[in-house]
Amino acid sequence: MKKEYQTFVRQFKDLKEGKQNLFIKDLTPGPRKYDTRYVRAEIFRDPGKIKNSEILRIRSESGVLLPQPWGIKIFEELPESVPGQPWEDVFKAVEKNENLKP
Amino acid sequence: MTFKDHRDFIETLKKTGDLIEVTKEVDWDIEAGAIGRRMYEMGGPSIWFKKVKDYPEGYTLYNGSLGTWRRVAISLGLPPETPVREIYRIYEERLEKPVAPIILEKKKAPCKENILFDDQVDLYRFPAPMIHEGDGGRYIGTWDLVVTKDPEMGWTNWGMYRFMVHNKRWLAGWPQPTSQLAYQLKKYYLPRNQPMPVALVIGADPIAHMVATAPLRLGEDEANFTGALRKKPIELVKCETSDLFVPAHSEIVIEGEIPMDQIVPDGPFGEYPGYRSGTMAEGVGFRVKAITYRDNPILTMIALGVPIDDSSIAASLTAGIAMKRGLQHRGIPVVDVFVPPEGVTHLIYVSVKKGGSQVTQEVLEYFTARRVMVSKVIVLDEDVDIFDSGQVLHAFATKCHPGRGIWVEHYEGRANSLTPCYSPKERARLKGASVAFDTTWPPEWPQEIVPIKASFKTIYSKEIQEKINQNWKSYGFK
Repeated sequence: MKKEYQTFVRQFKDLKEGKQNLFIKDLTPGPRKYDTRYVRAEIFRDPGKIKNSEILRIRSESGVLLPQPWGIKIFEELPESVPGQPWEDVFKAVEKNENLKP
Repeated sequence: MTFKDHRDFIETLKKTGDLIEVTKEVDWDIEAGAIGRRMYEMGGPSIWFKKVKDYPEGYTLYNGSLGTWRRVAISLGLPPETPVREIYRIYEERLEKPVAPIILEKKKAPCKENILFDDQVDLYRFPAPMIHEGDGGRYIGTWDLVVTKDPEMGWTNWGMYRFMVHNKRWLAGWPQPTSQLAYQLKKYYLPRNQPMPVALVIGADPIAHMVATAPLRLGEDEANFTGALRKKPIELVKCETSDLFVPAHSEIVIEGEIPMDQIVPDGPFGEYPGYRSGTMAEGVGFRVKAITYRDNPILTMIALGVPIDDSSIAASLTAGIAMKRGLQHRGIPVVDVFVPPEGVTHLIYVSVKKGGSQVTQEVLEYFTARRVMVSKVIVLDEDVDIFDSGQVLHAFATKCHPGRGIWVEHYEGRANSLTPCYSPKERARLKGASVAFDTTWPPEWPQEIVPIKASFKTIYSKEIQEKINQNWKSYGFK
């Protein structure tokens, strides 16, 4: 039985085959289901394309499930978080308004 | 009656018939959320799931603390049938007398019965629910209160913000970028690149959670207003890993910090406006340093979604009174503000002593001056009972001039990115618009030309009304 993971993209058109870093959720049933891992992996449209690969389910930014799952082969575990500032992009927009005081 | 903690409240709800205990095993993965959601949509009681799949006995889930006006009334120590207008009045009255919290010794604080530090920390010890199919993860923080502090002002903020389990030692959260937590973070911690201490509290006194939804002014401590509403101080205890104080009778307290240089993804999540609308972003990361919890911890949750649920009810009350205070502060002749729960704080009714376009524009200016959570405001004359949406709809349909009664304000950098009608681009830039509907008679109209409302109480003389009332049964009516 192949292991299953889930990842999110803003829109399905953002999906690209090939090697990339991505956050995935482990869908193995049990108390640790949905545990998040940050990995270096290759993802591909045809889940049967690469031997010993696993299943990747994909959802959009509003949680819509792509009907056909992709395949994933994980090469490397990466740190559990990524460098960045809270609300990085949003803060830039917020700073445009000097009147902001919640 | 003042409740000591959530357990005390639950016991009372059992007696009033506002709680059902489910002893059949329920899955934390979707099932508990779906049951909770269906129950909200039936207007039913709160639910205590006593046996949760994959978890030992005693680790339970509780959905819907304040999901009806009845339960809000009970939480305030009022009779369950108290009318909404009266609940508003009492809430407003009690807020006038803040009561400072008192500090308990650690050994007397139930939330310290179990303590996990560092490597012992494992968020999967608790049955965090996967609430909706397609959410970004398991939201352990829904009916929560999140404690943060502004070290310069010495002011502590309690807010209700969503937090999901990222992995065993990290949470991912999404306090709105215009929230008071974000304000504190941006003002103090971000410039210093210093991690922000934070505590996520689950299962405190129900009023404490309600107050956490209140849009209080900067610098106002929610703990004082919790005391005001309880008419008794709330008991706090110091955190293990920071100088934050949390409600001592809480079920679970997750302590940690928000780093300024590391992020983890949050969302998407079916949110309070009743949609899962693309608020999937680089949220804030919450690195957990300790967890303290009571024996047999009860994890409180909301199967959030379309109204009416705890969120839309609590926010109706807390936002309504905060808005009234804000409008009064600006000198607007406000009589009442009602936030209909069905409008999920996007739609607000404001009644005024004297209306007209100028007052309507002043009302709109108040709602759009800073962070904007409201998109539609209906301004009404005081003869309309704004706690009756039927009356409001009638007035809106007939008194709001389609050509000169509608005022729109556009803005950027302060919109509510959870508003479902905004495009992804607008959400990213916090760009939005708000509209006010002038549903009042123009004050410049002479009295003799103002249309007369054709209701029993307004189009007939007192004499006729009295005669009809006195003779009512004699006409053969009951």
